[in-house]
Amino acid sequence: MTDTDQPLLEVDDLRVRYSTSEGSVYATNGVSFSIDNGVNYGLAGESGSGKSTAAEAVLGLLPENGTIDSGEIRFKGQNLLDLSAAERRDVLWEEIAYIPQSAMDSLDPVMTTGGQIRQAIKKHRNVSRTKAQERVRELFDIVGLDPERTGDYPHEFSGGMRQRVTIAMALALEPDLIIADEPTTGLDAIVQDKILDTILDIQERIDSSLLLITHEIGVIAETCEELSLLYGGKVMEQGSVDNVLINPTNPYTMGLKNSFPEIEGGGDPVSIPGSPPNLSQEPSACAFTERCPFATQECEQSHPDLADLPNRNHRSACHHVERAAQMRRDAAQPDTWGIDVEDGEESETGEVVLETNDLQKWYEQSQSIVSKFRGETPTYVRAVDGVSLSVSRSEILGIAGESGCGKSTLGETMALLSQPTGGEFTFDDKPYEYYQNGNMKEFRRKLQIIFQDPFDSLNPRQTVRKLVGEPLTIHDYRTDERATAITETLETVGLPTTPAFLDQYPHELSGGQRQRVAIARALVVDPDFLICDEPASMLDVSLKVNLLNLLRRLADTEDIAIVYISHDLASLVEVSDRLAIMYLGRMVETGAVDRVARRPKHPYTNSLLSAAPEKDPSVERTRVLLDGEPPNPVDLPSGCVFAPRCPKATAECRSEEPAPDAAGDEGHTAACYFPEDEGNPIVREAGQNRENESVGD
Amino acid sequence: MSGFRRFLAKRIAVSALLTLISVTIIFFVLRFLPGSPFESLITTGNLSPEQAEEVFALYGLDKPLWQQYLVYLRNLLTFQFGYSILQSRPVWAILGPKLANTLVLLVPALVTTAVVSTVVGMYAGWNRGSTTETTSVAVTTFLRSTPVFITAIFFLIAFSYTLGLVPAFGMRQVTATPNGLLDTYLSIDFLHHYLLPFAVTVLYYSGDFLLLARNGVVEKKGSEFLKLHQAKGLTEGEQLLRAGRNSLLPVVTYFALRLGMIFQGLILLEVVFGWDGIGRALVLAIEQQDYPLVQAAVFIMALAVIIMNLVADVLYAYLDPTVSTSGGAV
Repeated sequence: MTDTDQPLLEVDDLRVRYSTSEGSVYATNGVSFSIDNGVNYGLAGESGSGKSTAAEAVLGLLPENGTIDSGEIRFKGQNLLDLSAAERRDVLWEEIAYIPQSAMDSLDPVMTTGGQIRQAIKKHRNVSRTKAQERVRELFDIVGLDPERTGDYPHEFSGGMRQRVTIAMALALEPDLIIADEPTTGLDAIVQDKILDTILDIQERIDSSLLLITHEIGVIAETCEELSLLYGGKVMEQGSVDNVLINPTNPYTMGLKNSFPEIEGGGDPVSIPGSPPNLSQEPSACAFTERCPFATQECEQSHPDLADLPNRNHRSACHHVERAAQMRRDAAQPDTWGIDVEDGEESETGEVVLETNDLQKWYEQSQSIVSKFRGETPTYVRAVDGVSLSVSRSEILGIAGESGCGKSTLGETMALLSQPTGGEFTFDDKPYEYYQNGNMKEFRRKLQIIFQDPFDSLNPRQTVRKLVGEPLTIHDYRTDERATAITETLETVGLPTTPAFLDQYPHELSGGQRQRVAIARALVVDPDFLICDEPASMLDVSLKVNLLNLLRRLADTEDIAIVYISHDLASLVEVSDRLAIMYLGRMVETGAVDRVARRPKHPYTNSLLSAAPEKDPSVERTRVLLDGEPPNPVDLPSGCVFAPRCPKATAECRSEEPAPDAAGDEGHTAACYFPEDEGNPIVREAGQNRENESVGD
Repeated sequence: MSGFRRFLAKRIAVSALLTLISVTIIFFVLRFLPGSPFESLITTGNLSPEQAEEVFALYGLDKPLWQQYLVYLRNLLTFQFGYSILQSRPVWAILGPKLANTLVLLVPALVTTAVVSTVVGMYAGWNRGSTTETTSVAVTTFLRSTPVFITAIFFLIAFSYTLGLVPAFGMRQVTATPNGLLDTYLSIDFLHHYLLPFAVTVLYYSGDFLLLARNGVVEKKGSEFLKLHQAKGLTEGEQLLRAGRNSLLPVVTYFALRLGMIFQGLILLEVVFGWDGIGRALVLAIEQQDYPLVQAAVFIMALAVIIMNLVADVLYAYLDPTVSTSGGAV
């Protein structure tokens, strides 16, 4: 290439419009950014900000109803939009590769993983099958997969491993640009951390550029050098990550940054109130003006142009850039955003509502008739294996753990949606058998569960009024004052109570509203106990903070006991009073939130905590990467179940299992023989081999 | 592959059990039907009660039911279907040619329609909303929901009576006396008679395959893995192939089950076109209560359905890697 200064990818004034049955949606409205060779570029924003649309336009993967109205996408100086379909296909993968969003669904289920990578290679290069297969094995090795498994189908891999397969695929032809669209969304913190580590490591090796699209500012802060923040299809702020995230000059950036919950560090996260803009026409005012606390008359007039800030790689689209320092100070205060601050007084926790003692839920594995006949003992999947916990009124107990640790099964078992196979469990001082003998209705009224997916858990053919009123009918509760009950509950969860809203169907609501309707459904019968299973995992960060605040308020004012199940430690720390860390069906550490988060005793807790990304790019994070995946809960290792992955495990750990309270004191216990000491943190460098590390106790 | 072998053994065992149950049901249902094969002869007085008893004894029909049942099972296991009571010929000599006639008509028709309709269906699903899609779905649904004898009669009126292109009736000219297999099924004359029933059968079954394939592709279209295929630079045709491969499962299953069911013939079609198939033979045999003939025919039909079910199961495991052959979900 003659001109080395030429950026690798330039997107210039990109405007994409979707035509739908209800008119046009203006997804991106003049987005411009450029990526230099070898640079990691972040594209951030809430859902509906146009970040994925921009990426799809670059790849030429826009859905059929999407049209590019104007703009240029220049790759190495060549406008991609001028190319024919065939020329475009040649650029794909050879030059621009793609790591898709959901690793679970993005691999062809009836093709071997190796076959799919070979297909990508053979499509662009004229190589023999053996050559291609050699390359596949090499790629599997690079991304940390067993090269012997190239013949396996996608379903034989876990979510994290599938994402590694797509990464291997993206690497196959050593492209100049890799576009990763939310590559870690839906993966738990530990897997996310490992995947990001892999992407960075490899990308450095083949020296390509990366365009990373994500809604998590923390991920960008850790991996990218430059970023653009999108809102309403417009670039709000762009420049080097250090400048933008440490000294944001745009109110939207400030809001987004403040709403990102962190495990450590000061203050409650502050959410941005309101909802994303309506894009049925091109914004004439500043896109953010409706939600911006600093908006003035001027902001209503026009969307500001991106203006260069002096002396820095930093551009911001705000009419009030000169007031940035003042705005930064104000933006950290919740009342600036019109949010009522509830005084921090935590209400006293009341009497114990639910208590489990050694609760078990084992699933029997299917057996052949012959082995049944022979009387062989069946094998069990020990999803929940002896959990003892108690939850009191006004208390939020957070349960954290990796995917597959049994936390959701625990929630279902406590809700008696599945039958416990051992142990005791009392609710309101009565054993669960009491409820199963004819008092199930009472139990179902007092204990409510909120599920992960607000898109599937509401009946699409019922209006909000019916959805929220249905539990009243089922339980014959407050039926004579139905309307009042519905309005009251909607008010509690912060939803409008207008007739128009009550007559809406779930598909007309936003994600946050749906999840609130789901919560209203649970609250309308005045339960004593609420089990929330990852209620916020599908929501944008500002909605997530709203939800957490709502739950906190419910616990404080309505005296409800809440169990909050999640893999997102940052939100758990935010919302909970006590935290329980679960690993392979057992509780490895329990205690008050501050003590568990600040001074973890169990090595597993420590690695979980260290896997959460930092939103401040100036903070160096020490990663404790865990090797491997949790063992199969069918044949568990004897001794401590965490021992095979534990950096400090000894012979003792492998032979005898530590009691749940082997370490710690009342109020903070850990099932570990060698609890972490403050003076002796065991931090392993990422990628280093465990065997080479001598760890004293 | 021992997991697969165990899976196969299990499936075969289940199939054998199913066969036993079905032949048992056939046997007892037939015996509990009012009347007997010689009912008409007895009522018209052509057969005196003594003679009737003699004939019953001759055919073993005087023995207790359980003994008859055991003999019946033994004969089935050795594939001896016995003699037709009314025609005094070996059952197989009667059923064999008729079954062959049916299969010669229906198997090629089913294979043709399965391939063509599936391909058209996939194309239609990929181009959802296009004229190809709407027309093909409307036409095939119409053909599928119209009773087959009505379609057949319309075709007869159009192509046979009005246009005079093809003969209306039978499998060959009345005067023809074919010798040998080749002459029976591979003559111009036979082909001439074959065209119309073949076309009607193809059209009759086309709707099912077309809709299955179309729905499969529509469902797969827009899925994440196709997006990744597209990002890899696969052409539209190659993407369609992948989508088709992923939605092949219901089509193949349906094909296997249909293949098992065509051993029963398409009675209505056979009647309209005067095709000498197994469907007509069965109806006649039941009317006359010709036990051995009915038993043998039903046995063959049941066996065909069960075997094709087995084939479908095995194909399933082969086509869809997520179907575990070792039992239980993955």
